[in-house]
Amino acid sequence: MLLSTLVFGVVLGGTYALVALGLTIQYGVARIMNLSFGEVVMFGAFATFVLFTGASLSPVLGLFVVVPLAFAISWILYTVLMRPLVKRARHPERVEIDSILVTFGLLFLFQGLFTQAFGSGYTGYGWLQAPVEILGARVASGRVLGLGLACLIGLGLWAATTRTRWGLTMRAVATRPAFAALVGIDENRVARQAFALGGAIAGAGGAILSMYQPVTPIDGGFLTMKALVIVIMGGIGNMGGALAAGLIIGIVEALVSYAVDPGLTLAATYAIFLAVLLWRPKGLFA
Amino acid sequence: MFEARSISVRYGKHLALDDVSLEVGTSECVAILGANGAGKSSLLRGLTQAGLRERGGVIRHRGEDISATNDFDLVEKGIALVPEGRGVFAELTVDDNLSLGAHPKRARESASERRAEVLDLFPKLGQRLAQTVGTMSGGEQQMVAVARALMSRPTLLLLDEPSLGLAPIVVDEMFAALHKVRDSGVSILIVEQNVRASLALAARGYVLEAGRIVGRGSSAELVADPMVAKAFLGH
Ligand SMILES: Nc1ncnc2c1ncn2[C@@H]1O[C@H](COP(=O)(O)OP(=O)(O)OP(=O)(O)O)[C@@H](O)[C@H]1O
Ligand SMILES: [Mg+2]
Repeated sequence: MLLSTLVFGVVLGGTYALVALGLTIQYGVARIMNLSFGEVVMFGAFATFVLFTGASLSPVLGLFVVVPLAFAISWILYTVLMRPLVKRARHPERVEIDSILVTFGLLFLFQGLFTQAFGSGYTGYGWLQAPVEILGARVASGRVLGLGLACLIGLGLWAATTRTRWGLTMRAVATRPAFAALVGIDENRVARQAFALGGAIAGAGGAILSMYQPVTPIDGGFLTMKALVIVIMGGIGNMGGALAAGLIIGIVEALVSYAVDPGLTLAATYAIFLAVLLWRPKGLFA
Repeated sequence: MFEARSISVRYGKHLALDDVSLEVGTSECVAILGANGAGKSSLLRGLTQAGLRERGGVIRHRGEDISATNDFDLVEKGIALVPEGRGVFAELTVDDNLSLGAHPKRARESASERRAEVLDLFPKLGQRLAQTVGTMSGGEQQMVAVARALMSRPTLLLLDEPSLGLAPIVVDEMFAALHKVRDSGVSILIVEQNVRASLALAARGYVLEAGRIVGRGSSAELVADPMVAKAFLGH
């Protein structure tokens, strides 16, 4: 039982790490603290549910619909809501404060829409529940697939940011936005791309999450908080750090809910977060 | 080839650059001389940032009006700037900085030839490709900044005090490299307080004082000009 709890934790942690990668790309490159980030994750989960129950589309194939949609939604959010904030701000800090306020409002707008459409209870679908055996633990095959997909997407992102010209422009804007123009990079364009890409990753994370557990409309806010905790623990912009921190949070949550009380998982997450802030304020690996 | 008319830059109420006009010919090197606060950096900003310029300024490069061109599109038009403070990507490696220099479309195809050329110009960088630029000395960082600008295959190079804060021997090294760049046919507009070195590089120059051009002439004339000698050469 302990072993299967650990495996659950790794699967959950893998999804968290993926979601946190999306947030760190949005924050690190576009410099927007998006408190409605978790709502895009929820959009991914609900959209996958609708496609599966309404159109019998397999959640894996659903990714090919959900991810582009999440990309488009985030692209529009950036263009319509964020760009004006960036444009009118005299200092980068101003953008951060304004974007926190605007996205905090968005959070409630999205939550209201989700509750309206799906009710406040659990929304989920049964899929790939046949167990497979891993290290002697019996785990639903949907979970294993979810972990595999999260790893695949994370690996692809890592390769894209470290190995391609596109990734290099992202790193240039993330570290020295003021100098991007010197090498012909349109900072605004890259920021918009990064914001949309972060949203696409959020959508993928939501789709994956829905493959192995039901969701409720208020989960988005908690996911944003967890993603924030993971990003800060791992170090802003540190992809390997986000992976490690995501796994730690996932495993601790699974262990606490198995050995102590499911109601205490969030408290445990924040206890770890506080410890990290006190002991390593710049992240575990700084 | 490059021509700027009536460029003014204002910070709030303070007019830092007042109606400045200048031109740079093909393969020509021109120096802007001026003391601290004369408006040298403001001039380069005014030439490269359309948003900072007062209305009425006109800039043409190679027959094209680029007055309204965005700063990030200027590199694509062949104008590369090495700003005050270098503007390098300090957290990235020398190699990454050079690759970013070749980011503009005009430079992508010839990137490997350019890389060989700039490493030939600054051999030190060749052994440091994997080093993070922020950990390098000031002189080395300045070399990265100039090398990165050259990676974009510029027709005009704008330099803001490339010798600032460098040891004399490194200044010599930098100017030796700039002589080679000039001889390769790239036009240069250099802003400097190091009058001797910049007039040795340039064919002619302008003297900037309190945001206005107060003198101009060939390098020989400027070196001999008592006003320049008094203000900048210290005799
Ligand atoms: N961002 C700014 N806001 C307000 N005033 C500024 C700003 N930048 C420059 N100035 C002022 O404009 C004038 C010209 O400054 P500028 O930096 O162009 O001079 P400079 O010739 O480059 O000087 P230095 O040799 O010290 O680099 C100075 O009086 C300076 O105080
Ligand atoms: Mg200056």
